[in-house]
Amino acid sequence: MIDRLWNMASCASALLLASTLMMAPSFAQETPSKGGTLVVANDTEPRNLNPAIVASNGVFFIASKIVEPLAEMDYEDGLRPLLAESWKAADDGLSFTLNLRDGVSWSDGNPFTSADVAFSAMNVWKEKQNIGRQIFRNLVAVDTPDDKTAILRFSEPTPGQLIENAMPAVTAVLPAHLLKDENLDEAAYNAAPVGTGPFVFTEHKPGELYRLSRNENYWRDGQPYLDQIVYRVLPDPGAKAAALETGDIHVTAFSAVPLTDMARLDAIDGISVISEGYEGITYNITLDMNHRRKELANPLVRKAIAHAINQEFLVDVVFLGYATAATGPVPPTAKEFYAEDTVRYDFDTAKANELLDEAGYPRDADGKRFSLRLRPAPWFQQTRDTGDYVRQALAEVGIDVEIVTADPGGHIKAVYTDHDYDLAIGSPVWRNDPAISTTILYQGGLDAGIPFANQWGYDSEEMNGIIARGISTLDTAERTEVYKDFQRLAQDDLPIIFLTHFTFITVARDEVKNVSNNPRWATSGWADTWIAK
Amino acid sequence: MIAALREFRGAGGVLGGLVLLVIALIAAAASWIAPGDPLNMVARPLTQPFADPRYLLGTDQLGRNVLAGLVHGARVSMSVGAAAAAAAICVGILVGTMAGFSGRRIDNGLMRITEAFQTVPTFLLALALVSVLGASALNVVVAIGISSWPPTARLVRAEVLRLKGADYVDAARLAGRGSLAIAFMEVLPGALQPVVALIGVTVGEAILVESALAFLGLSDPNLVSWGGMIANGRALLRTAPYLVVLPGLAIAIAVLCVTLAGDGLANRLGIVGRR
Repeated sequence: MIDRLWNMASCASALLLASTLMMAPSFAQETPSKGGTLVVANDTEPRNLNPAIVASNGVFFIASKIVEPLAEMDYEDGLRPLLAESWKAADDGLSFTLNLRDGVSWSDGNPFTSADVAFSAMNVWKEKQNIGRQIFRNLVAVDTPDDKTAILRFSEPTPGQLIENAMPAVTAVLPAHLLKDENLDEAAYNAAPVGTGPFVFTEHKPGELYRLSRNENYWRDGQPYLDQIVYRVLPDPGAKAAALETGDIHVTAFSAVPLTDMARLDAIDGISVISEGYEGITYNITLDMNHRRKELANPLVRKAIAHAINQEFLVDVVFLGYATAATGPVPPTAKEFYAEDTVRYDFDTAKANELLDEAGYPRDADGKRFSLRLRPAPWFQQTRDTGDYVRQALAEVGIDVEIVTADPGGHIKAVYTDHDYDLAIGSPVWRNDPAISTTILYQGGLDAGIPFANQWGYDSEEMNGIIARGISTLDTAERTEVYKDFQRLAQDDLPIIFLTHFTFITVARDEVKNVSNNPRWATSGWADTWIAK
Repeated sequence: MIAALREFRGAGGVLGGLVLLVIALIAAAASWIAPGDPLNMVARPLTQPFADPRYLLGTDQLGRNVLAGLVHGARVSMSVGAAAAAAAICVGILVGTMAGFSGRRIDNGLMRITEAFQTVPTFLLALALVSVLGASALNVVVAIGISSWPPTARLVRAEVLRLKGADYVDAARLAGRGSLAIAFMEVLPGALQPVVALIGVTVGEAILVESALAFLGLSDPNLVSWGGMIANGRALLRTAPYLVVLPGLAIAIAVLCVTLAGDGLANRLGIVGRR
């Protein structure tokens, strides 16, 4: 494991060296100044701010400044220790030992100990958390031989690589002393969390703002630099852009400003458009296909559809270049897992027509082969626009597409519970490891109603076998190979089509420093963020 | 002075009617003026208006032809608006006649229902209905129809109440005709004239509601609509204002002309003058 970390570290640092050298002068000259209030635009108002229960970016955006995980992603070292100083998986995969940081206390003054980790792991990550339920399924106990050591015990061998990759997103540690006698689903804690992080929760004015203030007891000396972070609730994209220009807000994240406004904002002195800082939370645009339709059950038809779609057009027009064409269920930014040698389906209308003829769906007198209903996910402009493009692209090869829209709740129910769709545009997230992000889109035999998962009716014994091997293979190199096989088979069978990977964009005013300096920046702690005076 | 004003109103009605006719012709000829699916991405995104003769009014952020959107949008807006208004007026006439001609109990019952509908703002009711029924052109027509019949119903009821004591109604009753026949064959035709004055307003409002629904993403996603074009262009208000301004103008002109033409028609029929 240490070898792997070293390898990753040296690879990453070699790559980064060039860029750091170029940036070095501007960074080296500046010493962080303390104080100031950072104002951030926020889209939504999550009711539950408990990141250990709701592992989602909307919650992390606020809560990751208050409640810290065991480790955070880092451009140079892969993983940077936070509450855990070091960790080691046992050779048999049945235990994972965490050495916790000394001298950390909760913002209410109580000491942070291994009991907090044991409580969080057993009672929250394993029991309550959307992602943790899968990873910690086989967790049976957490031993705490002393205050600074926690040993996770598993009933089945669990790969250390998986736990490591999961640490940034799923291991937010909650204070056992405040929560062990509470009903976690209803605890007042969820609206006003207490943590070990650089900031403490101060207030929430509904419809207006969340306010966080610096944690005077933070364990890292001298940090955080900021006095306060204010999240202003500003759902309107145009209003956000205007507020950035006037200086009313300093930062917008998650592409909150329309992509079409990016070039205009970038040209303004004092505002920067930054596409780094999201490598650990890449979103993907997929074309999901319901195999219960006999046409779509035919692999020739699915491949024809893939050939009919021009991914470059999507990247250039729908994403204005802020995306890359996908080659499978792992983005190329995940260098560790990415397989280059998957089957490609180049844009080729003639080939698509040939395949459809071969599949036995000739054009009728009107030039149409068959009709499909497409449900684009309603939550991003890009998912809706992609739907419009797919409709047009498939019309070219004689497939008539009717777009059906619904509100988010209705969309999720129609696609993932009722299977009332032929095609759908989805936006699954890549989270560091296939086992906790994209394999669920290929896993067979899932119950209807599990959202953002394989509800396509695809169930391949070979695929299920690969996915099972991936979560039980302990050797890191071997496990990585398994996931390369996973990508190859995913592209051979093509149950769904990965169209693009898109990273979000941060737009920030230049006086804010240390922006986008880790691969999950928007959802990290911001202890080192500061405002130049 | 009053004569001049009346003259102007007459002219406004004619002008409104003419422009409306032009819009209707454009809507009917949409497939000739801009062949192909107006939702297709055909050119370089964000071509400015008048920069490329093939795309006279420019293209939007996905490269869709704005002119094609406007003319096909005219078809959707006008037909959905007209169909929804027709539905609303039919329901209104039916309810109003029944309420006015029937006994007190039915009248009371129907009027309470009408008031219940009137307490909910038209747009909110249409919004709720489309969210439940799903976004398709037919559902939008149904939703607008259901939410905008009460004014017609109240007007028709008042007219029916006024007419039902008239001599010719008594004569018909003495001739042994059934109540329904009297209500719809004898009383209603006399009560219809004032309804004409409502047509313009109802159609105009239906077009506005349809645009607003489309703006919120609740119209048929397979059809272009002026409101939907504004919603798409809104994010680019600073960089490409024409994407919002052009469909906005189209809505304003269409609603204004429908209202003017409706007024003009009512004037011509002497309805306003009689009051």
